[in-house]
Amino acid sequence: MSTQLGFYFNSDNCVSCRTCVIACKDKNDNPLGVNFRRVISYEGGTWLPHPTVKGVMLPSNIFVYSVSVACMHCVKPICVEVCPTGAMTKHDNGIVAVNQDKCIGCRLCQQSCPYGAPQFNEVKGVMSKCDLCQDLIANGEKPACVASCPQRALDYGELSELRNKYGEGNSIEPLPDPSLTWPAVVINPHRQAQPPGQGTGRIVAEV
Amino acid sequence: MNKDGIISQTLEKTMLTRRSFLKWSGVLGGTVALTGGVGLGFKVLDKAVAEEVKEGKWIPAPCWLDCGSKGFNKAYVVDGVIVRMGTDETVPESPDCPPLRSCGKGRASRNSYLNPTRLKYPMKRKNWEPGGGKKELRGKDEWVRISWDEALDIVSSELMRVRDAYGQASIYSCRPGTYLGRFLDLFGGFLQGWGAYSGGTWREPGKFNGFPASFNDRIDLRKTQLFVLWGSNPAWSRAGLPTYYYTQYKKAGAKFIFVDPLYNATAQVLADEWVPVRPATDHALILGMAHTLLVEDDPATNPLIDWDFLNRCTIGFDKDHMPEGADPKENFVDYVLGTYDGEPKTAEWAAEICGTPPEKIRALAREIAMTEHVVIAMSTSPSRVHNADSWPPVVMTFGAMTGHLGKSGSCVAQDGGHKTISNGGQALIRGGSSRSFNHPFQRAEPIGNALSGGGMGGASLDIIPLEKDGIPHTILGNVQSWPAVLEGKYQAAKDDIRPLNVQLMYHGHESKLTNCVGVMKGIEAHRKVEFVVTQNVWFNPDAQYSDVVLPVTSRWERYGDLAEGFREQLLWTHQLMEPWFEAKDDIWIARELGVRCGLDPKVIEPWSLKQEIFNQVADARVMNEDGETMEPLVTITNKDIQEFGVEGEPQQGRIPIKEFQEKGIYHVPRKEGDNYGSVALRAFRKDPENSPVKSASGKLEIHCQSYADYIKHRGWSEIRPIPTYNPPVEGYEDTFADWKNKVKGEYPLQKFDLHVARRTHSNYDNTPWLRETYPREVYMNSIDAAERGIKDGDTVLIRSRHGKVLRIVTVTDRIIPGAIAIGWGSWIDIDEETGIDMGGATNTLSGAIATGQEAKGYNSCNVQVEKWTGAPLLPDHLKPPKVPLKDENL
Repeated sequence: MSTQLGFYFNSDNCVSCRTCVIACKDKNDNPLGVNFRRVISYEGGTWLPHPTVKGVMLPSNIFVYSVSVACMHCVKPICVEVCPTGAMTKHDNGIVAVNQDKCIGCRLCQQSCPYGAPQFNEVKGVMSKCDLCQDLIANGEKPACVASCPQRALDYGELSELRNKYGEGNSIEPLPDPSLTWPAVVINPHRQAQPPGQGTGRIVAEV
Repeated sequence: MNKDGIISQTLEKTMLTRRSFLKWSGVLGGTVALTGGVGLGFKVLDKAVAEEVKEGKWIPAPCWLDCGSKGFNKAYVVDGVIVRMGTDETVPESPDCPPLRSCGKGRASRNSYLNPTRLKYPMKRKNWEPGGGKKELRGKDEWVRISWDEALDIVSSELMRVRDAYGQASIYSCRPGTYLGRFLDLFGGFLQGWGAYSGGTWREPGKFNGFPASFNDRIDLRKTQLFVLWGSNPAWSRAGLPTYYYTQYKKAGAKFIFVDPLYNATAQVLADEWVPVRPATDHALILGMAHTLLVEDDPATNPLIDWDFLNRCTIGFDKDHMPEGADPKENFVDYVLGTYDGEPKTAEWAAEICGTPPEKIRALAREIAMTEHVVIAMSTSPSRVHNADSWPPVVMTFGAMTGHLGKSGSCVAQDGGHKTISNGGQALIRGGSSRSFNHPFQRAEPIGNALSGGGMGGASLDIIPLEKDGIPHTILGNVQSWPAVLEGKYQAAKDDIRPLNVQLMYHGHESKLTNCVGVMKGIEAHRKVEFVVTQNVWFNPDAQYSDVVLPVTSRWERYGDLAEGFREQLLWTHQLMEPWFEAKDDIWIARELGVRCGLDPKVIEPWSLKQEIFNQVADARVMNEDGETMEPLVTITNKDIQEFGVEGEPQQGRIPIKEFQEKGIYHVPRKEGDNYGSVALRAFRKDPENSPVKSASGKLEIHCQSYADYIKHRGWSEIRPIPTYNPPVEGYEDTFADWKNKVKGEYPLQKFDLHVARRTHSNYDNTPWLRETYPREVYMNSIDAAERGIKDGDTVLIRSRHGKVLRIVTVTDRIIPGAIAIGWGSWIDIDEETGIDMGGATNTLSGAIATGQEAKGYNSCNVQVEKWTGAPLLPDHLKPPKVPLKDENL
């Protein structure tokens, strides 16, 4: 009987501190250029001249929120479909992982994934990706990112249990349309989050 | 499909493409592999290998970056190699007693201490000779590796030569650190630094007007209905629990309003409302709010002002409550109403200065006044402004008039202290005691610096007499450091200019060139004096501009560290690795210098670090459940003493010492209704006569002549006894050539410094993982950018009256137009030809301008920004690291 493990992310708690990014990098010993977990910030709004007071500007609908993304361990992983050697597989527990001994580094998975999960490791010459810290969870520990978040904005578990606990949301702008690959993720939207594909803002390079 | 994928776009926006990465990794050679996380034995431990290796051990890991927050770190060590970092899992998740999770910097520690820019060997500058040699080459000379003997001989002989030629005060060590400081004290004294770095203008006024600006206990603040976070961004600047506590309050229904030039990362999660304000104009905003309340208040029909508290507990608010002998016209109410100066400080008056819409000023004032439980919490950043000496007093006044002092669920507080942000009250657990000499605030048998009156550096000059036993005290205000070194004189007080002849600079415990205003003058100063020596973990700018550089160990390479968390945690962390190459401990260096200078090393280090830490642990005290008495934290048996190999006495405590050693952290258990609560000024509000504050009158002195006298005595500028607005040097007003007609001048924008998540001050600037994760440093408003043809990601030249820097810009609407925020602490990197700081340090832009109590005015700085037409800057993580010695043997 197979399960579907996945992440939970609470955008409403995320302060873009990127502790999760570094905890993951540290645990996986990734070189520069490879980050299994990334944080993207999305902002919007504008400034308008005050209607009556000269020299004063009014902030108009200024908002910003952040999204922390690793691998979605998709229910319908396109990276597995396109892999020519069978290196990329979906395990019984739902985790999508790459077998680096079989990988030839063709990078088709990287080109197909809407979430940027498979990344080429220049040092090793093969693909690498988030595997939900399968070695840690086998040992009863949490994935490095989940354990690290100072705002407790990350969790992981069986997808149906995550949905019971946190709700059904699985995408917010600027993430891709979930119907592409059915990500095994629950996302609690930020209070100002916009639905995917309907954003009025823009991705901003975070300081 | 994915080339246009959102995530790839973002990756490419913020990092160079993989093709460029390959090219640079070729240049960097083995460095890339090193920064991928290689242990000291240069073994690469990947997952497959890890499965075959024997079990490792979690060891609590020191982090001492001085961010003002605290996180618990631990390192998983396998076969002597640090494999990965972890954090606190000693207590289960609960709102009452949450684990002390660490931040991204803690997680990146391996990448910081196993890093090619770490100093490996003692070095001297190729073109150095006693007396300086070619001093003009400091900062751009070549380096020669030398032995420890030669290095210590040079340093000690230069110390003695310079001291004998020019006197003790010719040796300048702004903040030497504990052990180097003891050596210099024993050496006869030295020129020490004075003045706030973090504290801004909060440093002095409380000593005169009685205002402690403390938080209530965090459980008490669960009552708070409205939090006004003013110039406050704890999510990045005090990572960890402070924001997590605030988030708990938010989820429970509290409202959050942010007053800030930037809609910052903390606002992102918490803000219900953003009140934008120009940097350095916060004082005007408060006056606009005070005016609103004064004209709208009616005690019968619309009570907005807490007249009862003002009348009983303060002096100087209105003409009927003045101190004896004071001019009755010099009261706060009449100033705000404009009774005598004809300038009522209306919300409109304020808006012209602070840029906040006047309707927002009025609305904020009413909301603060009408809400029963309010916290006004601020960082000290609005006070790190020139001429802002009256800012803390006006904050106090506003808190007093709105009724939020001394009540449960309310407080007006600043978090310049390291333990109290969002969690005030007496510490529930204390490490260290009089038996220890390394604990801050308490020292056994201090040697004392003869030149600063025997006290610790940083004490106020009004407390230390300027002369004692015929020895003039010499202590150098930090803001005027570089001008004083260059001009050969400094200002000790009003009409008291004294000669100064600094000829030796010893950088011990701080990154002076990075952290001190006026970098370009600092470099001149470094090229003027006869000898410069730095001891540091990394090859930082101080080291770069030195004659001799000594590599020191980090705390990962010595016995251990005991540190308090917030009021509720104590952390005992341990050694993780052997010393890096030839790096030595600061303690050893201090002793060796002492021996060479004919001093007794046993006075410098009375007992070993292990004994010192053991003493501190033995003397750690924890609050009992009664909330009044304390008991020893640890039980120590004779067997323990033997096994530790130290001197000591057995004792009874709460937990076994070995348990504390293994876990590395102790949390004081908390729960709703416990006896650990604290409400700042509660007793004072209830009964000011019997529980006075520490002012001369015992009341909160809104009219405070003694403070005005103190500021006048410093000799830089004057303030009135009531907190009036003083337009700052290089504040908003100075961006105009013609204020009345609002014609902008040569430096039309306002720069302020941002504490970014990437660094703590200058620490970890050179850590590759952090450079990659936080690639941007500058926020600029989209209107200001468009006016200049600047697009997001452009390289921009930022110029001030004092220097110029290059940075890559993020164009955003999250910052008020007219302001530009720059990440603080980046290492300087001066291009000798153009004079441009390619490292983008904020202190290259900030001037060495002393006002009032000599607080650093980082956030009052006028700049101009233009698109850079030269070669674009590389993102920091792709810049080759500065490694001083060419013959690497990696």
